Amino acid sequence: MEQDPHRFLRRSRLSIATMTHHRDQPAPTQATLCRAAEADRAESIMVAIESAARFLPTQGPIGVFIAQNPLHAFECEPFEDAVVHAAQLYGAQPYLSETRYREELARGRIRAADLESVLDSDISGVGALLANGRLSLRDLRLALLLHPVRQEDDAAVRWTLTEQDVVERLRDDLSPEARWQLLSDGSEDGIENQDPRLSDSDDEATRRALFFPGSEAGQAGEEQRTSSELWHACVEAVSLTRPSITHSRPPVRHRDLILAVDPAIDTDNLVHPLLIRFCAAFVDQGVAAWPMPGRERGLLEAVTRIYSGRFGPTEPWSAGLPAALRAARGCHAVDVIAAELDRLGVPEADWNEYLTRTSLALRGWAGMIRHLEERPDRAPVEPVPARLVDFVALRLVCDRVAVDWASRQLGFKNNKKHENNSHGTGGGSAVPPGSHLQRLWTELRDRYPPRRGPGSLARAFLLHQVSQLLGLTARDIRGLDENELLRLEHAISAFDGFTRRRLFHLAYERRHQIQTLDALASHVRFATPASATRPLFQAVLCMDERCESFRRHFEELGQGFETFGTAGFFGVPMYYRGIDDWHASPLCPIVMRPRHTVVELPEDGAQSRHEFHRNLRRRVGQFAGSVSTGSRTLLRGGLFTAFAGAVAAVPLVARVAFPRLSARLGRTAAELTRRRVPTRLALEREGEDFLPDGTHAGFDVDEMVVIVRRMLEDIGLTTRLSRLVAVIGHGSSSLNNPHESAYDCGACGGGPGGANARAFAMMANDHRVRGRLADEGLSIPDDTRFIGGILDTCADTVSWFDADRLPESHRRDVDELRRACDQACVADAHERCRRFESAPLDITPREASEHVEARSVDLAQVRPELGHATNATAIIGRRSRTRGLFLDRRAFLVSYDPTTDYDGGILTRTLAAVGPVASGISLAYFFSAIDRLGYGCDTKLPHNITGLIGVMDGHASDLRTGLPWQTVEIHEPLRLLVVIEATPETIINATAPLAGVRQLIENRWIHLVSWDPETGALSVYERGRFVPYVPELNDIPVVDRSVSWYAGRRDHLSPARVLAAVPKRPASSARHS
Amino acid sequence: MMTNHDIVSLLVTCQLAAPAATVALVGVPALLGRPPSERATALIVGGGFAAGFIAGVLTLAVLATRGFVPEIVHLGSWFSVGHHEASIELVADALSVPYVCFSTGLCGLVNAFARKYLHREPGFTRFFLLLAVFGTGMNLMVLAGSIDVLFAGWELLGISSTLLIGFFLERGNAVRAAMRAFATYRVCDVGLLTAAVLVHRAVGSGDFNRLFGENWPNGTCLVPAATATMVSLLLVFAAMGKSAQVPFSGWLPQAMEGPTPSSAIFYGALSIHAGAYVLLRCEALLEQAPLARLLLIAIGLGTALHANVVGRVQTDLKSMLAYASMTQSGLIFAEIGFGWRIIPLVHVISHAILRSLQILRSPSALHDRHELEAALGGHPGADRWALGRWLPERLQARFYRIALDRGFDQMVVGRLFVVPFLWLLECAADLERRWLALLGGSAGPGRRRS
Repeated sequence: MEQDPHRFLRRSRLSIATMTHHRDQPAPTQATLCRAAEADRAESIMVAIESAARFLPTQGPIGVFIAQNPLHAFECEPFEDAVVHAAQLYGAQPYLSETRYREELARGRIRAADLESVLDSDISGVGALLANGRLSLRDLRLALLLHPVRQEDDAAVRWTLTEQDVVERLRDDLSPEARWQLLSDGSEDGIENQDPRLSDSDDEATRRALFFPGSEAGQAGEEQRTSSELWHACVEAVSLTRPSITHSRPPVRHRDLILAVDPAIDTDNLVHPLLIRFCAAFVDQGVAAWPMPGRERGLLEAVTRIYSGRFGPTEPWSAGLPAALRAARGCHAVDVIAAELDRLGVPEADWNEYLTRTSLALRGWAGMIRHLEERPDRAPVEPVPARLVDFVALRLVCDRVAVDWASRQLGFKNNKKHENNSHGTGGGSAVPPGSHLQRLWTELRDRYPPRRGPGSLARAFLLHQVSQLLGLTARDIRGLDENELLRLEHAISAFDGFTRRRLFHLAYERRHQIQTLDALASHVRFATPASATRPLFQAVLCMDERCESFRRHFEELGQGFETFGTAGFFGVPMYYRGIDDWHASPLCPIVMRPRHTVVELPEDGAQSRHEFHRNLRRRVGQFAGSVSTGSRTLLRGGLFTAFAGAVAAVPLVARVAFPRLSARLGRTAAELTRRRVPTRLALEREGEDFLPDGTHAGFDVDEMVVIVRRMLEDIGLTTRLSRLVAVIGHGSSSLNNPHESAYDCGACGGGPGGANARAFAMMANDHRVRGRLADEGLSIPDDTRFIGGILDTCADTVSWFDADRLPESHRRDVDELRRACDQACVADAHERCRRFESAPLDITPREASEHVEARSVDLAQVRPELGHATNATAIIGRRSRTRGLFLDRRAFLVSYDPTTDYDGGILTRTLAAVGPVASGISLAYFFSAIDRLGYGCDTKLPHNITGLIGVMDGHASDLRTGLPWQTVEIHEPLRLLVVIEATPETIINATAPLAGVRQLIENRWIHLVSWDPETGALSVYERGRFVPYVPELNDIPVVDRSVSWYAGRRDHLSPARVLAAVPKRPASSARHS
Repeated sequence: MMTNHDIVSLLVTCQLAAPAATVALVGVPALLGRPPSERATALIVGGGFAAGFIAGVLTLAVLATRGFVPEIVHLGSWFSVGHHEASIELVADALSVPYVCFSTGLCGLVNAFARKYLHREPGFTRFFLLLAVFGTGMNLMVLAGSIDVLFAGWELLGISSTLLIGFFLERGNAVRAAMRAFATYRVCDVGLLTAAVLVHRAVGSGDFNRLFGENWPNGTCLVPAATATMVSLLLVFAAMGKSAQVPFSGWLPQAMEGPTPSSAIFYGALSIHAGAYVLLRCEALLEQAPLARLLLIAIGLGTALHANVVGRVQTDLKSMLAYASMTQSGLIFAEIGFGWRIIPLVHVISHAILRSLQILRSPSALHDRHELEAALGGHPGADRWALGRWLPERLQARFYRIALDRGFDQMVVGRLFVVPFLWLLECAADLERRWLALLGGSAGPGRRRS
């Protein structure tokens, strides 16, 4: 064996290159590796890993689902570029399919006018396309947008030509003019000569296609002749030019290169099942009874320990894996990566891309490992020492072994090319794998097939269709010179699917924008400023678009019912531990880290009862836990299933056949065994001590004053407070739903916001807080009381906190408020039911209420509610301006009073809280709806909870991130239309300090509209400036109540004015027609 | 005047015809491109199961009044040559009728569940159609009075199971898992088929009553011990595949690719126990075949142990439940091997109910976990009985690897069965190529299998 002078050096660096192969191979004859170079390499690997990590999904453990933009890493790019780049990187779709947009066009959701408008703003200053000026680029593009054109390859065209009469007839969807042009011109044209180039054509089908049209003379003579004449002309035309060949950059991963050569060998299919098993075992949070031994040392170390033994059979491809892992044992992950990259023969220049693509190949798991690396506190049970480099190193080792195997498989086929390579079974071993794989890589990259443009038949067919659409006759086509033809063909091919879909999407958004802005412009004329009379009830809810309908129905109860919207944590960021919780969880937007912990305690008198119930519950829990684990074991399970398993028939039948009844029974039983004890919040802190986690145990009065004042100022509720102000958070309850927390409050970081509402009400009721507020100039009337509550958006119920703490004087108000909210809930349930196909359209409100309740407790229900689906708009402004406007549960409504915000400071902090939450929700739904496979997690049916941190499809798949199809099914993917009631200058000033929000606006991830507080004029932010908006229609439908607008309809509804909620206008103001 | 026999005949036919009719009612319009609406589909299929269930309960009542004297229902004859006959016979006795009630009842429940669960899913009709096929096959198998009928039911079970594993046609994993299950089924079906041939040879008919009388569970074997042993061994082989016994167990966790309700009813409840049912049906034969019983005990206990160890390291809910099912199914095999009758039957039914509930509510794992944590006031500690905790570290890693690699089932089955089989096929293909070349034609380049 040849001695390598640098062996010791490299050994000391624990480089695997030497450690693995010094026994059976000559050492790699590479340039001298010295410490500095190695350090450099390690550095560049770390950089590459960090850059790859940006593109991984950011979704954390599924128990806390936070809606985020899956393209967060691309937010620095303009939206239109970002979606295309991301689509290429993730293999996903940038927009909806063209078919889908065309359906929307057909049913009038997109109009031709929208397409023309977006086309006009897309093309600037391009003149005529053809010399005679007959055709402009715009005409061509519009025709291609309005009419589907089949772009197929030669084989498909050949099939079409033989099976269908496309060449004998003109298209059915031609405009009358085009048709007339074609026909009138065609009739003048005499008989045509034979095609002189026919003999050149070696294509049998082309020849047949050329003869075919003419062979059947007779019936629809005119049309047939015109069309086939045109076809001849097109065939002649395309033969003048050569089809294009584009040399696309070959992929970097061996897997893709091998797949291009032999589609039967997909090394990822070999590696992934194993890798998924490793990752799942490593991050498991308590599903497996036997956790992975040694996982506290990290993924790479644990796997090498378990798998490097010589013991145990392997699969054919992984025969070399134990040895490879043995070599990596004890090495640092970065060294392993460096060595593997060397062996795989990837040049350093391609490392970045190689590592990015490699991490993304199993991006759900890689992303989860990255997430647990960055946020170990988010692990549901125990943090594991997750490191992305470990994952990549392990993955590369597996990849290399698989590629090695695959190359041997390929060796059989390409042995002509490997004269020096000994072949036959297991032949590759004579050559060091490093150089072997390196050669494989270079060779496959050289051989990577270039992409050929469409063949002549396909081009002729395309030209034939386009000419018809444009009214170009055979004579026109023949009249074109070579340059013009090239230009025309190029213009057609340049207007590719991505471009068309982008324009369709813009048109799709434009229609929605017009509909919404028209409604706002029209409705604002009816808006009356708040009257001086004191309202009956005021309710502060989350800005969530699901609360829009509840608020509307609440307001429809009468003029004295007012509502406000704000981020649903009500300005109280805290860690909260409820009486049933065993640990505290954060309730605030994810961008914040709370500094206070609040605990729910039993009332002093109920202490002993609480203890009793808790013990009882613990025992029941222990029993239930041991039953559920026991049923899976051998002995206990055998005995148990054999003799007591049949007892499960009771819950099985009850849960499946009578979900609502059994849930009610279950609840009653639970209430009986552990009767709810009265509780209180330990809201106020006593000392200045910190808890072990570094937070304060509760708030002090100063902090409470700040919180209450900020919130009331934010929503503009500083005057005219009613006797009873309800603060209502929201959450959602559903069963058999791994994505349950996706339905909770986004502003509470995927938790229910009831505790925040309760805490806020307690603070605002505190007389010391009020005293201090009065000193600061914000006086809350003495008889005003706050009450906290929580709205269950799934079952549509409101429950209240601390109602018995309110003074006797407010009892009646509380009762009335309860009744009002119950009424609003029933109406809300009724409105929601129109979206559920399983609820009949003529459902009564009472049935609707039962229906939604049943959904929330039904094991079989995959759509307990629809979450944020259909969200499309955010309106930040005074509610008086939108009150009485039916917004179809599609608008985030944030209360903001521009008249009291003198310096824009309130707007800044409102946007700081609202911007990330609303845009995150909007974009999460957007992309999950655009591509249910690439960005969403597809249908829930095969979902399989793994490790208590995520879901897989079936038994071994990547972790599925994003939202399930059932949730986004009815969602219209639209960028959020944010309307802010403020002048353009105020908006620009207010967003200036918010870099993240600015980026979203400038790069068009959200649409921004300014709504003038004085005049009500709207102006849309476009390319750096606000452009005044001119309404298309001045009127919107008017109905008496919401129900008369939505009754009997399932689809998205345009805004309407609901008279019941519109305040009576003073007689003096002029009535608008 | 209808005799008791007529009533039972009618009811038993109804148990079979009701689900079979729903296959036609849903399948024919679907084939014509006009599938019935979701509501109608679920109602038709559910109605079929309900009718089958009611008929089953009535039969049970009728039989109970007569002290469970078996009734044989002769539906016709497939063919007969001389004194050799393949008849289509059903039997209503203390085994088949309760089992039919149980299986149609469970099918009905899953039908009700799936109606909401699959709402608006593109494969809605296909799912219910396959469920109806499954129900028909199940009833056919359970009520079978001859080994031919049993085989027909058995095959319907296999095909519906395969197609439901591959329900999501567009996903590679699902299709691969379906193929794996199908291959295992087919290999083990050889056992049943050969057993059928043997039975026909031995008694000139496939009827069970000629084989071991008709008085379940007290049948007496009417064939010589050698035949009984042979048939029993073949039946055990057949049952091993469908009930996922070692070494044919690898397909079961992979089969969790279909929609949750189908996983529940197939691999938690009915399909997984089909093998046990067949063995129970032929218990009289087993009685005469100690060798087969010993094998049964060995396989059963081996499977239980294997599944128990492997199940401990599974990190996803459905695989874990699959191995839990396998454990119990192994135990049931062993119980049958011990010659027990009622205990395994009760075990089957009891286990099926519990496990299908567990699989149906497997997406609730997080919810349940939170509830449990709240009740306990902390994390439920790791299993005190956790295997391997007390082993030295090296052995721990080794055992863990066995468990993580699922007892090397993939490799073992691959080496023992798949590789030789493929090699055989390769050889055959090669021979054919040479033969063709010899005949003068230039055979096209044969594609090597990878």
